[in-house]
Amino acid sequence: MTSPHPGPKSVRTVDTDSDKGKTDGKSMLRQKDRERYQRQIGLPEIGEQGQKRLGRSRVLLAGLGGLGSVLAASLCAAGVGFLRIADRDRVELSNLNRQILHWTADIGREKTVSAGEKLAAFNPEVVLEPRQIAIAEDTVQELLRDCQIIVDGTDNLESRRVLNRASLKTGLPFIHGGINGFNGMLSTFIPGRTPCFECLFSEFGGGSGCPSVLGATAGIVGSLQSLEALKYLLGMHAELLTGRLLIVQGRSMTFRKIRLEPNPACPECG
Amino acid sequence: MKIQVKCYATLAHHQPGNGERFSVESGTSVADLLEVLGMTPEAVKVVFVNGKHVGQDFVLSEEDRVALFPAVGGG
Repeated sequence: MTSPHPGPKSVRTVDTDSDKGKTDGKSMLRQKDRERYQRQIGLPEIGEQGQKRLGRSRVLLAGLGGLGSVLAASLCAAGVGFLRIADRDRVELSNLNRQILHWTADIGREKTVSAGEKLAAFNPEVVLEPRQIAIAEDTVQELLRDCQIIVDGTDNLESRRVLNRASLKTGLPFIHGGINGFNGMLSTFIPGRTPCFECLFSEFGGGSGCPSVLGATAGIVGSLQSLEALKYLLGMHAELLTGRLLIVQGRSMTFRKIRLEPNPACPECG
Repeated sequence: MKIQVKCYATLAHHQPGNGERFSVESGTSVADLLEVLGMTPEAVKVVFVNGKHVGQDFVLSEEDRVALFPAVGGG
């Protein structure tokens, strides 16, 4: 995904679907899927059954910036079945230090189009649904339709609040991440089982605006979020980052978890 | 009284060396603590005490675990 060479036009032509339909029966993975995902099917936590489970999974990824680029690439590479990618923005030059799905030739293009092209070329097995739209109260229910999980690639408090409310309303998990400079944090919120986003960030909410940030930080935090999403989709629910906030501090290279408690006075879930 | 203080991310340079057993006067609020540590109220966006989100007017108690964060809201 990080190759600087092929522009969007050249990657659009990639088609590796030549053996589509070659299956060993309905319950088996296709041979080309077995090969594509060989290095993860070998994991005892995944296997062929887990890979098929990923192939049936449906994800809403909100935001295609620094976190969203890494999340989208990672989820796509792992073979989730359906990925709805939502963002309202167009690619700007100042995005390119960290938003690895968008390249120099994409400046001015819709992020969903820019990202969608790379992702489709990267793994044509994944069904992509690009939605060039803001994450808002009047759009989120439709964006969530038929999805199993909400993954946070947004960069602002209001969008996260909307996603959190939608998570509480539907019961879908919300995998939150945020970054600033060398630092980041993440947590997995599961309605009824953990505190919610609002419990933690109700007053100030992690801020907004345009913080300075390194692409490497987005890479770390986005990758950790995608691990959480994949674990959830694989049914590894006992080992999620629930009830904990993981704090990543890149300068000191420290990873700390702090325990979180629900806020009984939370305006959303209290 | 003694409390535990952790300053995270861009606030890390405010971390007191004795943060595990930091002495404050009884009745100290989070806002008072920020002043002692040399932080402005605006710089601290999220405060957890014993894992619960609190406001800066929250009054601390013996053995409280205080975690202070700047904005970590980019994406």
